[in-house]
Amino acid sequence: MLLSLVSKRSLEVDSRDAYGFALRPQHVQRYQEYLSIYTEEETERAEKWKNFLDRQENRAAEPCSSEEEFQDSFQADGLESGEESDSEEGSRNGKHEDCELSGTRVLQHLEQDRTETAGDVSKEKEAAEEAQVLDEHQYLREKSLRRDTEPVKDEDEEKFESDKDKESSVESESESDKEQQSQAVKEPVDHVHLVAEEDKCESGHDKAEKETKARSVIEWAHIRPCLGSIEDMMCARVKNVKYMKNNQKTIVGDHISPRKESLPSIEESEQNSGENDRDSETSTSRSHSMKEEQGSVSPEPFFPWYEELEVLVRLGVPKDLRGEVWQAFVGVKARRVERYYQDLLAQITNSDESSSDVQRKWKKQIEKDIPRTFPGHPALNENGRDSLRRILLAYACHNPSVGYCQAMNFFAGLLLLLMPEENAFWTLVGIIDDYFDGYYTEEMIESQVDQLVFEELMRERFPKLVNHLDYLGVQVAWISGPWFLSIFVNIIPWECVLRMWDVLLFEGNRVVLFRTAFAIMELYGPAIVATKDAGDAITSLQSLASSTFDSSQLVLTACMGYISTNEARLEELRKIHRPAVLEIVEERIQKGRVWKDKKGLASKLYSFKHEGSILDHEQKSTQRNDGEDPDDDDESCSPSLNLDGANVDSEVDSLPDLQEQVVWMKVELCRLLEEKRSAVMRAEELEIALMEMVKEDNRLELSARIEQLEREVRELKQVLSDKKEQETAMLQVLMKVEQDQKLTEDARISAEQDAAAQRYEVHVLQEKNEKLVTQLAQMEKKLVTAETTLEATLQYESGQNKALSSSPRFTRTTQESPKKKTGFLSFGLGWRDRNKAKQTDESNVDNTSNASSESKSPSKESKSEDLLNPETRR
Amino acid sequence: MGCATSLPDRNSGALSGLSNSENAVPADAKNLRVKLVLLGDSGVGKSCIVLRFVRGQFDATSKVTVGASFLSQTIALQDSTTVKFEIWDTAGQERYSALAPLYYRGAGVAVIVYDITSPESFKKAQYWVKELQKHGSPDIVMALVGNKADLHEKREVPTEDGIGLAEKNGMFFIETSAKTADNINQLFEEIGKRLPRPAPSS
Repeated sequence: MLLSLVSKRSLEVDSRDAYGFALRPQHVQRYQEYLSIYTEEETERAEKWKNFLDRQENRAAEPCSSEEEFQDSFQADGLESGEESDSEEGSRNGKHEDCELSGTRVLQHLEQDRTETAGDVSKEKEAAEEAQVLDEHQYLREKSLRRDTEPVKDEDEEKFESDKDKESSVESESESDKEQQSQAVKEPVDHVHLVAEEDKCESGHDKAEKETKARSVIEWAHIRPCLGSIEDMMCARVKNVKYMKNNQKTIVGDHISPRKESLPSIEESEQNSGENDRDSETSTSRSHSMKEEQGSVSPEPFFPWYEELEVLVRLGVPKDLRGEVWQAFVGVKARRVERYYQDLLAQITNSDESSSDVQRKWKKQIEKDIPRTFPGHPALNENGRDSLRRILLAYACHNPSVGYCQAMNFFAGLLLLLMPEENAFWTLVGIIDDYFDGYYTEEMIESQVDQLVFEELMRERFPKLVNHLDYLGVQVAWISGPWFLSIFVNIIPWECVLRMWDVLLFEGNRVVLFRTAFAIMELYGPAIVATKDAGDAITSLQSLASSTFDSSQLVLTACMGYISTNEARLEELRKIHRPAVLEIVEERIQKGRVWKDKKGLASKLYSFKHEGSILDHEQKSTQRNDGEDPDDDDESCSPSLNLDGANVDSEVDSLPDLQEQVVWMKVELCRLLEEKRSAVMRAEELEIALMEMVKEDNRLELSARIEQLEREVRELKQVLSDKKEQETAMLQVLMKVEQDQKLTEDARISAEQDAAAQRYEVHVLQEKNEKLVTQLAQMEKKLVTAETTLEATLQYESGQNKALSSSPRFTRTTQESPKKKTGFLSFGLGWRDRNKAKQTDESNVDNTSNASSESKSPSKESKSEDLLNPETRR
Repeated sequence: MGCATSLPDRNSGALSGLSNSENAVPADAKNLRVKLVLLGDSGVGKSCIVLRFVRGQFDATSKVTVGASFLSQTIALQDSTTVKFEIWDTAGQERYSALAPLYYRGAGVAVIVYDITSPESFKKAQYWVKELQKHGSPDIVMALVGNKADLHEKREVPTEDGIGLAEKNGMFFIETSAKTADNINQLFEEIGKRLPRPAPSS
C-alpha cells in the first residue's frame, strides 16, 4: 500500500515513474511520451472495470452500498492517473489532511496501545499484562475498523451513508475473527487511506518509537466488496487446486502421517464450506513438497463472466484497484489463516538466538538485499523496509523449502507498494507456493525445467532467430533465465510488468511468462537476427526489452498471439525435460555436499534441506494445530488454546492464572519445538557432514594411495622390462662367452691331450734312453772287460812269440794261428785309428741319435764293433 | 570516464561472424572478443565492478542481480589490439550457483570476486576456484579480485591470503575498489594481456 505515499514530492525527480521506480536516463524521454497513452488507457479501463463490477454487483443482487464509493474512487483514479498534475496532488494532500484531523486522536491512542502491545509480547511479562494484551488486540481490531470508515466519511459524507448504518453491526460482528472474516465481503474497508494516514501519523508523532516501528505497520485489510465475486471465484480455484492436490496425495498414499489425520476434515470442510477448511487448506498450501501445478483448473463453468473478466484483465487492471484485484486473483481470502502471520513474526523474534544456521543465513541475505530492493524508492523508507523485512522473514519461516531467494525481495517490495503488509504476505505466499512452486527452492528445479521448455518452444516458433543465436554462440536461457526468475521485474518497463502480472495472477500459472517472452522475441527478433556477435545480440535484446513502453502491444501480443502455448502443453513438455534437470541437480548435490562438508559448514547443506523441509512441515503443522486454529470449532476443545480463543471465551477470562499458564506453556512449546527442530536439523547436518567428511577423507586418501601405488607399479614395471632387456643382453653375452669358453676348453683339452701324448712319448723316450744308458753302461763294462781281455791276450801273445823263437816245434803251429789272429787284430786296430781321427768332430750326442735310429740287430753288430773300437782306441 | 582505454564505439572490434563465443577468442589477432563471467558471494560488488568498468558509474545501493545480467565493453591494449569483453554478471546468492554453469561454460575468462572485509566471501571465492577448475574450460583465464579495497580499515582478508590463493591456482590477483575506481581498468587490461592470442594465420 506504500504506493499511496508516493507523492509529487518524490516524483519531481525526473528519473522516477508514476510508481516511484527509477527510470533509466535513456528512457526518460520515451516514458514521457508514453505517459499520456498510459493515462488515456487508465481512464478507459477504469470505466470498463467500473461497468463490469457494477454489473457484477447487480448480478449478485446485492443492494450495494459501496457502489457509490467505488464510483467515487474511480473519479479519483481518473485524476490520479494523471499523477503529475498539480491539482491531483492538491486533492490528495487535502485527503490526507482530512484523514489526519479525524484520525489523529484515535491514532495517538492506538500508537500508545501498540507500543505497549509490542513491548509486552516481546518481553512476555506477567499474566495480567498478557491478558491485557489480548484485550488490546481485540480492541485494536475494532478500532481499526472504525478508523477505516471514519476518515472516509469525513471526506465524503454521503458516500458512506449506508455504511454508517451498518457500522454498529459491523462492530458487533467483529467480536470474533471468525465472524469478521465471514463478514469481509460486506465491509467497506478503504485501506488506502488507512496506511497513508498511519504513515503520516508516525512521521508526525515522534513518540511512536522503535517498538512501534517494529509492529505498527502490520496491517490487514479486506478487499472492497465489489470484488467479492471475483475473489470467490479465485478462492474456489484455490480450494479446488488444493482439493485436487489432496486427492492426489491420498491416491499416491502420501507418506506423511500427520497430514492424513487432517484429510477427513478437508473433505468435510469442502462440503461445509465453513470456517474449518481454513486449517486444512493452509496446511496443505504449505505442503508443497509433492505438489503438481494445477493452475489450469478452469472456473469458467460457474462463472459466465469469466471471459469478460479475462479480456478486462488483459487490458489491464486499474491502478487503484490493482492491489485488491491481485489479492482476489491469488485468493488471499482462502489462503489466509488468522494470526498465522503474527505468530510467524513472534516466532522469528523469539527464536532469534536459537534459529538454525539456515535461517540465520536467510536472515543475513535478506538484510543484505533489503537496501538493494528498489533502492531509492520513495515509499521504501525505513518503515517500508521494516515491512519488507518482516514479510521476507515470515515467508522464509513459513516455507523453509524455499526460505529466501533473491528475486523474492522484489516481489515482496512490489506487493508492499500495492497492499497492506499482511495482505502482501499472503499474496506472496500464493505466488511463490502455488504459481511458482519449485521455482525458488534451493535447487531451482522448476526454473531450470522451464528454461528447457522455453528453449524448445523457441526453436519451434522462431527457428530463424534461434539458429542465429546458435550461430553466435548464445543460449536462449542466458537471456530468458533472468526474465523468468525475476518475473520481468527490472527487465521491462513497470507498466508492462504490472500488466503482465495482472494476467499472471489472474491465470494462476506461468503460461504468461512464456507468452510474454515470445512476444518480446517476436517484437525484437528481426533486430537480433541482424546482429553480428553475441555481445551485440544480447545487449540489443536487453536494451530493447527494457524500452518496451507499449504495454498494451506487449500484453496483447502475448495473450492473443500465443494461445497454443497453454498450461497443458507446458506441463507436457515439463514432464519431458524434468528428468534431465533432476539428474544434473542430483549430481550437483553430491559434489556440493562434499565440498561444503569439507569446509565444515553444516549450515550450507543443500541436499539436507529437502529432508529438512518435510520435517519442518510436519512440525509446523503440529504447531499450527496447537496454536493457530481457534476458529476451528472442532479444535477448540483441544487442550491448546490460542490467544484469541482464550480471549473470546469469557469463562476462560475468569481463570487468568490458568490462561496465563496455557499461554506461557504454548509459547514454551513453540520455543521447544523450534529448538528441537533446529537441534534435529543441526544434528542431521552434522551427521551427514561427518559421514561425508569421513567418506571424503577416506576416498581421498585411498585414491591418493592407489595413485601412488599405481605409479610405483608402473615404475617397477618399467624397471622390470629394462631389467629383462638387460638380462637378455647379458644372456646373449653369456652364451657367447660360454661358446668361447667351450671352444677354449676344447682347445685346452686337445692341447692337454697333445701334451699328455707328448709327455707319454717323452716318457717312453726317457725309458728307452735309460735302457740305452744302462745298456751302454753294460757295454762299457763289457768293453772294459774286453779291453782287459785284449790287453791280457796281447801280453800273452808277446810272451808266446818269445817262447816260439826258442822252440821250433812251436814255431810251425804257431805260425798258422798267428796268421788268423793277426787279421782280426789288425781290423780292430785299424778301426781304432780311424776313430781317433774323427774323435774331435763327434760329441756325446752320438750316443742318443745313433742309438734311436739304429735297429737292434745291426746296432748290436755295430755296437760290438763300437765296443771293440774304443777298446782298440784305448 | 571510467575507463581511459575504453573505446566509445563498441563495434570497433568488428569481427568475422564465424567466431564462436564458445571458444573464447576469435581468429582475428588484433580484435579479440572474450566471454567473461563474474562469480562470487552475494554483495561483494560484482555488479559494481562491471558498472564501474562499463559505464564509469558507482552506486552504493545497486539492485540485487537476479539470475544474471549482461554488459559488454571494448578496451584497447598498448599493443594496439582491442578486446571486447562480453561480461556476464551472475547472481551471488548460493542457490543461484545452480545456474552458474550456464554462464561460465565456454567462458574464456572468469573473474572471481570477494570482499576484503568478509572472510566468508573469501571462502566462497575458494569454492568458485575449485568449481571452475573442475568444470570450467581447461584454458580459462582466471582472476581473483579482492574488492572494496577502499574499506581497508575494515579489512579482514589479508592481501597475502589473496595472493596465496591466486598463486596456488595460477590466477592473476588484484585488489580493487569499484567505489573509487581503483584498479578496475587495470584488472581488465591485465586480463586482456593474458588472453591467449590466436596464432597469426595467413
